[in-house]
Amino acid sequence: MTALLTLAVLATLLGGTLFAVALDRAYLPLLALFTRQRVETEAPDRLNRDLAPAWYLALAAIGIAVVPFAPDLALIDSPVGIVIWGSCEALIVVTVFLHGWSPNAPFPLIGAYRYAAIGLPVMLPSMFVLIAAALPAESLSLVAIVDSQREVWNVIRQPLGLPLFMVVALAMTLRGPMDYADAADIATGTSAEDSGAGRAVWQIARLAMLVSVSAIAATVFLGGPLGPVLPGPVWLWLKTGALMALTVWIGNRVARTTPSRMLTILWVVLLPLSFLHLLISGLIEL
Amino acid sequence: MAMTRLARWAARSPAPVFAAIGPGRQAETERLLARPGLRRAATPRDAAILLVAGDLPGDTAEALSHVHDQLPHPRATLRWQADAPDAIAARIETAWRDICAGERDEDDHLPDEPPNAWKGIGPHGQGGKGMMGGTPYGRPMAMTGTDIRDGLRLDRYTARFGPFLPMLPPGLVLQVTLQGDVICDLDVQAPPLAQAADADAPDLCAARMLRLLGLDRAAHRVMHGQSARALWLRGAVPKRIGRIDGTSARDRLIAWLAGDTVSVAPPDLPALLHGAEWAEAMLILASLPPSALIRAARGVEAA
Repeated sequence: MTALLTLAVLATLLGGTLFAVALDRAYLPLLALFTRQRVETEAPDRLNRDLAPAWYLALAAIGIAVVPFAPDLALIDSPVGIVIWGSCEALIVVTVFLHGWSPNAPFPLIGAYRYAAIGLPVMLPSMFVLIAAALPAESLSLVAIVDSQREVWNVIRQPLGLPLFMVVALAMTLRGPMDYADAADIATGTSAEDSGAGRAVWQIARLAMLVSVSAIAATVFLGGPLGPVLPGPVWLWLKTGALMALTVWIGNRVARTTPSRMLTILWVVLLPLSFLHLLISGLIEL
Repeated sequence: MAMTRLARWAARSPAPVFAAIGPGRQAETERLLARPGLRRAATPRDAAILLVAGDLPGDTAEALSHVHDQLPHPRATLRWQADAPDAIAARIETAWRDICAGERDEDDHLPDEPPNAWKGIGPHGQGGKGMMGGTPYGRPMAMTGTDIRDGLRLDRYTARFGPFLPMLPPGLVLQVTLQGDVICDLDVQAPPLAQAADADAPDLCAARMLRLLGLDRAAHRVMHGQSARALWLRGAVPKRIGRIDGTSARDRLIAWLAGDTVSVAPPDLPALLHGAEWAEAMLILASLPPSALIRAARGVEAA
């Protein structure tokens, strides 16, 4: 059973990443990158340069491993699944920072520090939103959170949760209005010195993370594998795919403001809003 | 040489082009790069073709060689003089196919060595004196200096940016001192290259700002005469930045999106950008029509 589940998780991550590449219309450009030379900058941090995309991929894989594929069935059925995902979120900030740090060049480093500054106020609302979703389940386990949505999905019970989590999803996947690490004003920031396969692998890791963060959102807010007629995994795939498409759509359509303005919005608006959301969700459960 | 399957797929992808834009060629080049079949690379590392549009002044030759050497192998330089856009687009696509087939490549123009000699100098061979001083790894150490905002003493990093950075106007060279990404000192070392009036076209000006706002597809749509179809467009540009005789960067974006040409008096660039963050500064520069920018930078140089 474990072997089968491992296979299902890996297949979901792979298939989802291919779907994400299609959503971004990036098949041919990504393939072309593999034919290009990988240039080395002067005195790079080689270890972290190679590890950063590997961490990013690993965090995407760990994240999706705690997602239940059927009610009562997850590869890592942890009593603290939400906390495992939360640690993945926090470590993404470290990963993106290392990616910007390692080439030893100004634009990547500016992107790295920017992302670290934006990352913290994005993580905090994310934690409040996920804890709020854990309240009706009275458990930090994702299996229990799915179980608590048999009557009504969290997206209806806690309407602010999914919109707030979409902000987190955009930041985790370096996309559109939350792409402060690889922005255009710093020549794609932490990726500015990447070429060839190195550039391609970083982009693929970003797209793999889109699968994981969407699968988590589908589990926490849309009931994950719950649904009539079709088997559990199919419902999870459909919901994950829909959330991926939504994230890509928002990423292409919403403008990115300056980092300082976004910091103000995150600390002054989104953080209090997420706390209010937690408070209301808690009072409802009393 | 028989192409591998991967190379054949690569040849079918849009040709990644990095453009070095000469005097009077900005509008033409920007419109060229919006064609299907070509892709505007944000950094030379992501490009295979270096497009040199027009006659670049002699003092940019070294910078052009540096950009050229940053392109990964295999690579090609194409000079665009009098060709019609269709002809140069066809030449780029042919060059891209040749590159993918491994039939075309160029060697470095400059020797691959650090800007200052450092190897073996100093007690640890790192180019410095002890822990501090000297030029470790060929660059002067960043030293702390008074912050212009809240008095925190932070490292000051000074570097030259331009003349071919895609988010700066072509030809503009800025020497910028940054603390984090706050600009605390700015010197215009070369003005933008002269451009014809067509560079002030509303769709091109709007597209430059949209790309900085992360809206590449909206920029594409605007350049093809469609509406931007983007959310939070105006709100994303902070209200207070780039104020020149009564209009702000946001006002100018709104005018351009409505299809109006904008003219502003040449601003005092260092005063306008001093204290701005890097992202704000790039938005401010993109919010100035090229004609105003050129006159502004000329004024600074003459003074």
